[in-house]
Amino acid sequence: MSTLVIMLVCLPFATALVTWVAPVRFSQYLTMIVATATFSVALILLPRTSHEIVTAGSPLRVDALSQVFLLVVTFLYMTTSIFAKGYLSLGEGAKAHRYGRRFYAGFNLFCWTLIVVPLVNGLALLWVAIEITTVISALLVAIDDTEGASEAAWKYVLLASLGLGIALFGTIMMYYAGTRLHGASYSLSYTTLLSGAAHYDPKVVRFAFGLAVLGYGTKMGLFPVHTWLPDAHSEAPTPVSALLSGALLAVSFYAILRFFQIAVLSLGPSFPRSVLLIFGVATLLLAALYLLSQRDMKRLLAYSSVEHMGILAIGMSFSATIAVVGVLLQVLAHAAAKSTAFFGVGSVVRKFGTKDMTKIRGGVGALPWSGPMLVLAVLALSAMPPFGIFRSEFDIVYGGLSQPRDVIVAIFVVLVIVAFFGLSWFTTETMLSEDPSASLFSGGVIVVNKGEVSNWIVASMIVGLVALLILGVHPPTPLVHLLDRAAAELRGSR
Amino acid sequence: MVPSTYDGVAAVLAVLALLTEFAMLRAPMLRSQVRLYAFQSLVVTGLAAYVAASRHIDELYVLAALSLVLKVVIVPALILRLLRDADTDLAGSSVLGVASAILIALVVAAFGFFAVGSMHVNSSSLPTSSLAIACAIVLVAFVLIILRSDVVSQAIGFFSLENGVSVASLVVASGLPLIVDIAFLFDLLVAVVVFGVIMRVHHARNATLSTSDFDRLRG
Amino acid sequence: MGSEIVSPYGVQAIQVLTILLGAPLVSGVIAHAEGRLQGRRGPRILQPYYDIAKFFSKETLVTNDSSWVFLAGPIVAFACYLTVPLLIPVLTTFPLPLGFSGDILGGGFILALAGFSIALSGAESGAPYAQLGSSRAMTFGALIEPTILFVIFAVALITHTDLPYALSATIRSSTSQMVRPSHVLAVVAFFLVVLVDTGRIPVETHSGTLEFGMIDEARTLEHSGPPLALLKWGSTMKQLILYTILINVFLAPWGLASTGKWSSVLLAVVALLGKAIALGLVFAIIDNSFSKLRLFKITEFIASAFLLAVLSVLVFYVGGG
Repeated sequence: MSTLVIMLVCLPFATALVTWVAPVRFSQYLTMIVATATFSVALILLPRTSHEIVTAGSPLRVDALSQVFLLVVTFLYMTTSIFAKGYLSLGEGAKAHRYGRRFYAGFNLFCWTLIVVPLVNGLALLWVAIEITTVISALLVAIDDTEGASEAAWKYVLLASLGLGIALFGTIMMYYAGTRLHGASYSLSYTTLLSGAAHYDPKVVRFAFGLAVLGYGTKMGLFPVHTWLPDAHSEAPTPVSALLSGALLAVSFYAILRFFQIAVLSLGPSFPRSVLLIFGVATLLLAALYLLSQRDMKRLLAYSSVEHMGILAIGMSFSATIAVVGVLLQVLAHAAAKSTAFFGVGSVVRKFGTKDMTKIRGGVGALPWSGPMLVLAVLALSAMPPFGIFRSEFDIVYGGLSQPRDVIVAIFVVLVIVAFFGLSWFTTETMLSEDPSASLFSGGVIVVNKGEVSNWIVASMIVGLVALLILGVHPPTPLVHLLDRAAAELRGSR
Repeated sequence: MVPSTYDGVAAVLAVLALLTEFAMLRAPMLRSQVRLYAFQSLVVTGLAAYVAASRHIDELYVLAALSLVLKVVIVPALILRLLRDADTDLAGSSVLGVASAILIALVVAAFGFFAVGSMHVNSSSLPTSSLAIACAIVLVAFVLIILRSDVVSQAIGFFSLENGVSVASLVVASGLPLIVDIAFLFDLLVAVVVFGVIMRVHHARNATLSTSDFDRLRG
Repeated sequence: MGSEIVSPYGVQAIQVLTILLGAPLVSGVIAHAEGRLQGRRGPRILQPYYDIAKFFSKETLVTNDSSWVFLAGPIVAFACYLTVPLLIPVLTTFPLPLGFSGDILGGGFILALAGFSIALSGAESGAPYAQLGSSRAMTFGALIEPTILFVIFAVALITHTDLPYALSATIRSSTSQMVRPSHVLAVVAFFLVVLVDTGRIPVETHSGTLEFGMIDEARTLEHSGPPLALLKWGSTMKQLILYTILINVFLAPWGLASTGKWSSVLLAVVALLGKAIALGLVFAIIDNSFSKLRLFKITEFIASAFLLAVLSVLVFYVGGG
């Protein structure tokens, strides 16, 4: 089993090196094959990790919690590599070739860092891995070399680095919390920390946890440090947006969960939960309001990501186990739904040549396959049954009601409905309006021919929707076991 | 309670790092900004070496040597080269006057002082006040980034924030395994390279280092 | 004679006399050194004495519109400068009888009163430049005041008292006291305060003749004769008093007399003047190495002094040191 874990670390990195020198066409297929392979490896690991902890040497460790996020990242690696094949229309010539080489090397490297984050054992290595995701993804955001891209990349790299600076401070404080028990020099591995956490100085752990939530929260998109997020998501190439939204935010949440795990053991559940609750409600409120006023398709989806991050934080603040299971399921389902939606938007943007929603009408008519699937993905994002997010949000609400925290649940439901309005306006106006001349803003509407942009895009979206259906209708038994165990890990048992 | 000579010297070095951070707030030229950063890194390096010598933590010598090479030589050299190519030297105008900026930073630093002071951290390697000072450095770096509107000052703000965290790690985590320290430094190097690339892209596109035209994306 | 004990009141009188008679000497040495640094021969070391003597023999001119305040100001100021040496450790490590009649805050008040009466006297002259100097001096005086207060707070925190003698003793007690961060910060802050208060570069060109850049100097433009002599003398005394506080309270309280013997008191006089001249040379070098700040930039300079003083207090509270 540990060979498989090492394979997970080595394969994408080797691919990144190969794609830096290989011809682009070859890189595209290679990336798809490798990505599918890593997802399969993650699936093979699943039954094992839902019962025990798999390690490979001291730096690598996979428990149920890591496995959940590993599934998210590898799944997105696979679908996005398929989508990228259809999305990038690389022309001939040296310039396009250089762009393609850079893109694929950066893409694989980014996925490699994302895979490494849940695999590493220890808060220090976790920080290092997340910092590397930042720098690589910042380069990918800037890769299009437009004015918007350079602005977004700068905001992103600066804010995310500042956040990570804070997170590093938090990590060091957590290290300090352990020195009294473990001696002046010890490794920050989860095993050590979890075994001793109950005896740490609560004041220091509280400080460290607060810093970590603020720091990693910057990368996760929590209010008030989310400001880079819509910019980076809207200006990056669409495959990168999908990864940022589905995977990068998720692994940042993973980092917070690791601190949460230790903080719960040391402080008891009430303090960490209240911190997450405050951040979560503020984030959800902000996102729901901004969702109502977006004109840019990708920014709309970006704010929807902010909304879901708020939901995750609120879900963690409920004490019922089912709420925690719901949060982890939400991570999986959100990744699938959001990436599918981004793929659909990518298709629309390629078709219409704009992200401005006031200029796009009749999307479903123009794109016979990806159009309806985009509508489905957006409905899935708004927690419509039978998709995965419905099940996960239902679990969270159910967990909240069983506690009972009625007021918070009520706020939660109202805000989710407001967000639903924002998203559904987008869908009905741009995608379902058949006749451009009948719409409100008929002025600048762009008229296009009927037909798909690329079958690869359609394929990637089908994969995403199938996964969402499986998660929503009947999650496979091993996955249910995995989520249960991960939730148990988060609640303090080892 | 009189601190020992060792504690006194260490805290003076930490205070020197904090004062450099304040000096960055008022430095009007980008070059002087970079030099101040180099000086601050030198102070932090000196602090590491001082702790290593007095507390016999040999690993810290390696760390001090690495940070000397990286933070005192390589990073400033990289940024200075960027500045030479960019051919602009005046920092983006600060939103506030120097005196008000310093007063704000002072209030923020005082907040950090008392926040950390209330934790009663005990450290075997450095006096507690250094942790408070480290926290103040981090917060003043934030003020610098918020008040300045050019990419170089903001980047320098981030790097000096990292210096503050380094001081904090000397106080509370001087026994941190060397490999982790090296990973942190390596990360910083990667970050510097990426910051540099994005700064260059920005400059190549807009022919300025200022961030004042970063207002297209909003809402 | 060397082993005879001087009475404490005698020592106190010698303290005042040292400041009174030594101050022009210190100023003369600094002016001479400055001249040398600038490649000139510089004025004679004793020149300030000649100047003061000359002003005393001149007649006093008073404008028609001025009241008695114009003439009283210099006298009040001079009296203030004679009082402060009673309160601070000029020559001895042991406190003298009148040393307890005022703490460091009291000394500060008396110095401020001197500055105020000179400003009032300058304003009373009715001349534009003198009034400009007065208003500027009061403005910057008000700005520097918080810094002085915070320095005093820091001192009081370190020693648990605000008596200059006690601080001096605390500093002498160990090297740890010297390298205490809050002490170092307070010293640097006070050093900047002295720069401002003695009208040195980068705040003011003390030897210039350009009225627009003047602050302290401009106040006395309209005075003549004995009042001017008192003002000149007073300003050298103020300089020496500030140097003495900086040296004997903060920086290097060594070479003070620990007993009341004649020999050690005389030695202390020599040591004080020597240290003051050494410090003066530092100021002269600063004077020659920096340029004057624009008037509106002086707030920045004062803000940095304030920063140091506040940090000194903060560091004390958080780290005990």
